[in-house]
Amino acid sequence: MPIKDFERVVRFYEYQNPHGPSMWLPLVGVTLVTPSSNRIDLSLLFDTGASFTTLRADLYPILGLHSWDQGQPTDIATAGGANTVRVYQYDDFRLEVFGKVIECPIQLAQMPPNPLFVGLLGRHTIFNEFGFGFWESLHELYVTANP
Amino acid sequence: MNVSKDRFEQIGYLKPFFESVTTGAKCPEEILRTLSKYGIDWYVTEKGTLMIRYWQIGAEGFVSPERAAMIRSTKESPGQADELDWLSKNLQNVRSEFGNNWIAVCNNAVVAAAPNLPDLMNRVTGLDRPLVTFIPAEPVVWTFTYAH
Repeated sequence: MPIKDFERVVRFYEYQNPHGPSMWLPLVGVTLVTPSSNRIDLSLLFDTGASFTTLRADLYPILGLHSWDQGQPTDIATAGGANTVRVYQYDDFRLEVFGKVIECPIQLAQMPPNPLFVGLLGRHTIFNEFGFGFWESLHELYVTANP
Repeated sequence: MNVSKDRFEQIGYLKPFFESVTTGAKCPEEILRTLSKYGIDWYVTEKGTLMIRYWQIGAEGFVSPERAAMIRSTKESPGQADELDWLSKNLQNVRSEFGNNWIAVCNNAVVAAAPNLPDLMNRVTGLDRPLVTFIPAEPVVWTFTYAH
């Protein structure tokens, strides 16, 4: 079996559910340059089930958009497959992820709010750039920029 | 890069200071104490390179990696403040104060809040990479694959 080295450890963050067990979330900080040249960090949920990186619809102003629904509309199935949601796609946005600047498509969708993340880090483009190891019981995600 | 007159004079003052310490006989820790005394932001990399804010000059081989580990354990490097960790641990307080607002977190504190994102962005101009997120007014309850 080949040896796989990882340079980074991304630890999970605890979300204390008010009426249930705590959840440990693999959250990844990404850096976005806004139209006014501000660099801001956004927290995204590492989601192997998401094809595309998807942000909350109301983040559209920091992407330089006039509304969240001006992109290419697509209906996608949710995790359970029973329902579909409408998303709007925008191509070639620049995100800094794990120290690499990546151009990737971004989708905007109306999603339930969570204070610890504002979107999903999806597979398209981004996952090709890195190798990942996932250790659930340790609440850690391992990342290499040289897969 | 634009450098204000004050900043230029400050750098002009610091330059001979560094020229003197690099050729002097002071130990690394004493140099670091002196930098702190002068209010100069610094950190030591894992390889032992001394990095100084404003100039970003690397004094390569400033200390050994072993000594660097000791120094680094007593002083956090810039950019290592974990805003998300702080938010996760202080969520209840943050929600009670900033519920239904967008917030910006920097150096383990909420540095700006606004009911909408454009207003928040106007308030964080000049801050380097604040963590931006929305705080719902009520606790979010959901079940999730990662819950167990």
